[in-house]
Amino acid sequence: MTEALLQLRGITKRFPGVLALDGVDFALTAGEVHALVGENGAGKSTLIKIISGVHQPDAGRIDYLGTPVTFPTPRAAADRGITVIYQEVALFPDLTVLENLYVGAYPRRPLLRHSGRGRRVDWMAMRARAQDVAASLGVKLDLEAPVHRLSAAQQQLVEIARALLRDARVIIMDEPTGPLTQQDAARLFSLIRQLRSRGVGIIYISHRLEEIFEVADRLTVLRDGRRIVAMPVGETTREMLIHHMVGRTLDTLYPHTARQTGPPVLEVEGLGTSGALTDVSFTLGRGEILGLAGLVGSGRTTLARAIFGIVPPGRGRIKLDGVDARIAHAGRARELGIAYVPEERQRQGLVLPFSVSENLSLVILRRLSRLGFINHASERTVAHDVVRRLDIRTPGIGVPAATLSGGNQQKVVVGKWLAAQPRVLIMDEPTRGVDVGAKAEIHRLMSELAGRGLAILLISSELPELLGMSDRIMVMHRGRIAGELSRDQATQEKIMAMATGVA
Amino acid sequence: MNIRLLWRERVLIGLLISSGVVLALLSDVFLTPANLLRATRYAAEIGLVALPMTMIIISRGIDLSVASNMALSAMAMGLLWQRGLPIWPAVAIGVVTGTLAGWLNGWVIARVRVPAIVVTLATLAVYRGIATGLSGGTGILGFPESFLALGAGTVAGIPVQTVIWIAGIVIAAVFLTRTTNGRYIYGIGHNETALRFSGIAVDRIVLGLYTASGFVAALAGMIYAARVGTAKSNAAAGYELSIITAVVLGGTSLAGGEGTLVGTVLGVLILTILQNGLTLARVPAAMQDVLIGTVLLAAVLTYRERPMRKEVSAQSTSQPAPRRAAGRAMSDPENTLAAGEERRKP
Repeated sequence: MTEALLQLRGITKRFPGVLALDGVDFALTAGEVHALVGENGAGKSTLIKIISGVHQPDAGRIDYLGTPVTFPTPRAAADRGITVIYQEVALFPDLTVLENLYVGAYPRRPLLRHSGRGRRVDWMAMRARAQDVAASLGVKLDLEAPVHRLSAAQQQLVEIARALLRDARVIIMDEPTGPLTQQDAARLFSLIRQLRSRGVGIIYISHRLEEIFEVADRLTVLRDGRRIVAMPVGETTREMLIHHMVGRTLDTLYPHTARQTGPPVLEVEGLGTSGALTDVSFTLGRGEILGLAGLVGSGRTTLARAIFGIVPPGRGRIKLDGVDARIAHAGRARELGIAYVPEERQRQGLVLPFSVSENLSLVILRRLSRLGFINHASERTVAHDVVRRLDIRTPGIGVPAATLSGGNQQKVVVGKWLAAQPRVLIMDEPTRGVDVGAKAEIHRLMSELAGRGLAILLISSELPELLGMSDRIMVMHRGRIAGELSRDQATQEKIMAMATGVA
Repeated sequence: MNIRLLWRERVLIGLLISSGVVLALLSDVFLTPANLLRATRYAAEIGLVALPMTMIIISRGIDLSVASNMALSAMAMGLLWQRGLPIWPAVAIGVVTGTLAGWLNGWVIARVRVPAIVVTLATLAVYRGIATGLSGGTGILGFPESFLALGAGTVAGIPVQTVIWIAGIVIAAVFLTRTTNGRYIYGIGHNETALRFSGIAVDRIVLGLYTASGFVAALAGMIYAARVGTAKSNAAAGYELSIITAVVLGGTSLAGGEGTLVGTVLGVLILTILQNGLTLARVPAAMQDVLIGTVLLAAVLTYRERPMRKEVSAQSTSQPAPRRAAGRAMSDPENTLAAGEERRKP
């Protein structure tokens, strides 16, 4: 093994009441993709924050490029070539790509030709170097486009280019494929391989284990703030990895039980909204899990929102239990027994400063009150019920939802809708950013609910999840239904072919 | 009902008591029952309007048009009475006018989706302009005794408007803390999107808030007219800033989601006794404004030191806003009018 680019020894970090990291060792060599895996709360974020100068370790030492270092601020780490690309893209949406590439470090040149120190932004030099970097990566970047017009994948590219412009030696990627389509993710992986061949060290964090097997060379597993194991990726298997992460073996990953699909609950006929959806028709039966696949932007989320009344209805009809439903707004959808677990949990699903119980009662608050007055006792009862039923891990129903882990927050969103006892449950990316343990629990819950007759529409970008959970899979392409596959017919290849318009 | 005071409310009570003590030392008139009761007459006007204002600011909105609306509704009432309508029907129509003006604010904000600050900044000018146009530049005087009692009368020794204010506080507090819509108002302030995605009729609640604000402003406009004995177009000029100052002093965050009516009531009381007491102590008006501004800033800064349970995540984003508001409210020349208004009627 070559000499380590970055070496951490015995890193310990305490936060009030928690030992976030307990004597963790970690080593990254140049030209290596090192995956950092573990459930939410295992200490991955803390470790990254220590490497990137956000937090200071309480004990332990960091060697970088062979010398001991401390990074008192993120800026100090960035200046030495350590860059973090966070899950949520951290660009300025209204600035151009070029401006974003250099934010905080604009190259200067003198105001007049021989007037000494640089004062004026050197746009020409910026453009030239940016083009060099883009060319070396083999990608095209429209330098003058405002960032908000770029796709998630392009924005990520901007972040990577920005890191390279600053001569990054270490790039940390936190769930980089979260917002990407399958194709964009594949492109990102080839980019990562390129970075690796240039000698950049990459720390890669993802909940999607397939990706780790695809892109990483080595991996380190963290659990409860301790390093459990570090080894080459080739020496482990998916099952072993999960075992290391959760400390137990998960029985089945996608618990699909044979069910009888009952009579149609939701019938959609010729649904269309201006621009986004064209002539969408399908039925969803009692006790059925209907998977909805498609690339980002194919209209899956718009379809869900049209059914739920967030997007104003256009052409077409929606029937519930055979009765015509005019869904003009989300309140109507709720009354009709339609529930929607939205894709952006923190922005659309939860009121983060509200307590767990206040979030759980949000949808059914009117039912929990008389003459407008909230019955706090029944609110508590409902909250305790849901917390117990979904096994939401929280210190109490009174703590803010913001303090829960991603998986438990997601359970709160699901729980607030289950409290409303819906007939149709639409789940939009229900396990995105959720750790393996909670993911399995959400899947088990879905199977259980379907088994009791709930009709579920599952939108997911994760094909193994769709294939594992669905009774039937419907694929969307450019606002239309491109095709439908039964559970037995469906394969990743067939879905991708339909989703990209090849089939 | 469990009354557990937040840190900032304890700060406010301390502030109220200490300013009371200091003012009592500075002026021997200050701590007389007559003076304190008189001070509550002014407190009731800004205090009433501050109740819906608190809810609006919690929902992350603002209503700058309240003082203009007070003048407009009082003007409408005065003109109708002058043209021969009996006083109480005229008052009723005046209150309806203000309610409609508030509803119009709400409609543009909720349905047309224009930011509240823009809409109400516009109607601040529009409503005042209409009031001035209607008045033809002169005030209306000579209202019957029965009406003037609203501003100058007492019930069991307590000023009429103070009784109305106390009733308003109770109703508003029960509404905000006990009802579903009260809960939703906090929710809208924290995360409106999540409420929409929960199927809650956010627009209807917002519309209701601004309508209520118009109704209460109209009511306060009647009380103001009754207190000064005149319906005039420049009535209550600059009150909106005193009202917002009291609400922010009371710990309501302009970033939304946080705030209590207990805090607002304390904020109103502190603002009032400072204005009243400092005038009695013969502190120059300019100096009073500097003092009040400093108190506001200092109070809001102490709130930052102790994040409360519920506000943990909102804390970091919420604090700069009130400070900005503080600067704006107190440096605005309009505000001296609010204080001056009161000083003209000691």
